[in-house]
Amino acid sequence: MIASSDDIIIKTIARIFVPFIQLYALYVIMHGHYSPGGGFQGGVILGASMALLLITHGYDEVKRRLPEGVVMLLGSVGVLIYAGIGLTCLLLGGNYLDYSQLSVILHVDPAHARSLGILGVELGVGFTVMAIMYSIFFDISTGGILPGDEKRNEELENNG
Amino acid sequence: MNEFFVAVGLGLCILVFLVLYRVIFGPGVFNRIAAISAIGTKTLIILLVLGYVYNRVDMFIDISMVYALLNFIGCIAAAKYLEMER
Repeated sequence: MIASSDDIIIKTIARIFVPFIQLYALYVIMHGHYSPGGGFQGGVILGASMALLLITHGYDEVKRRLPEGVVMLLGSVGVLIYAGIGLTCLLLGGNYLDYSQLSVILHVDPAHARSLGILGVELGVGFTVMAIMYSIFFDISTGGILPGDEKRNEELENNG
Repeated sequence: MNEFFVAVGLGLCILVFLVLYRVIFGPGVFNRIAAISAIGTKTLIILLVLGYVYNRVDMFIDISMVYALLNFIGCIAAAKYLEMER
């Protein structure tokens, strides 16, 4: 179990750094089609910022800011955005993820619709990757046992 | 000038493999942590050199910044591990 660090330098540096890391992750997601990066890489950076917060501020603080239910919800919503944009293109008569079909809904020319469509898909991928990275890190660091889950802890102790 | 940067990049790649030996066989945790942060620094420089080879430094600076960031988080995680060992 990860407890809160009592070192003021580490805590202050993490508190100052985390917003900038998240801003940078959003930049990587938004510039995915001009420069190296994109949804997955930006999502990993977002997940790394949450991992930094979990290492320095401990489990209780992070649970108050981002409960596990919300994390799983974010992951599912990301998949929903991705599949939803793909299926919308399919319903409008194109191929799966053929963004130029979105120009009918968005009232812009097809080239602009392609740019907006790929941005939406990358946002969805970023959400999902962030949620799953955070969840994996969380499960590894706690060994799958939550602090409030005392019944399960007792069971494990009785079974050795 | 391009050949110079390619040669520097290849030399740094060979050095990374030499340091990787310390990561795998190095006695003790401290040697491994020092070797891992050395590899991180070398990778950062290799990325920037590659940026000069492809003539697109502005984009490769982004990736190298991400690498430096993950290196910092890894350093804090290693420190946390040592604190829990005690």
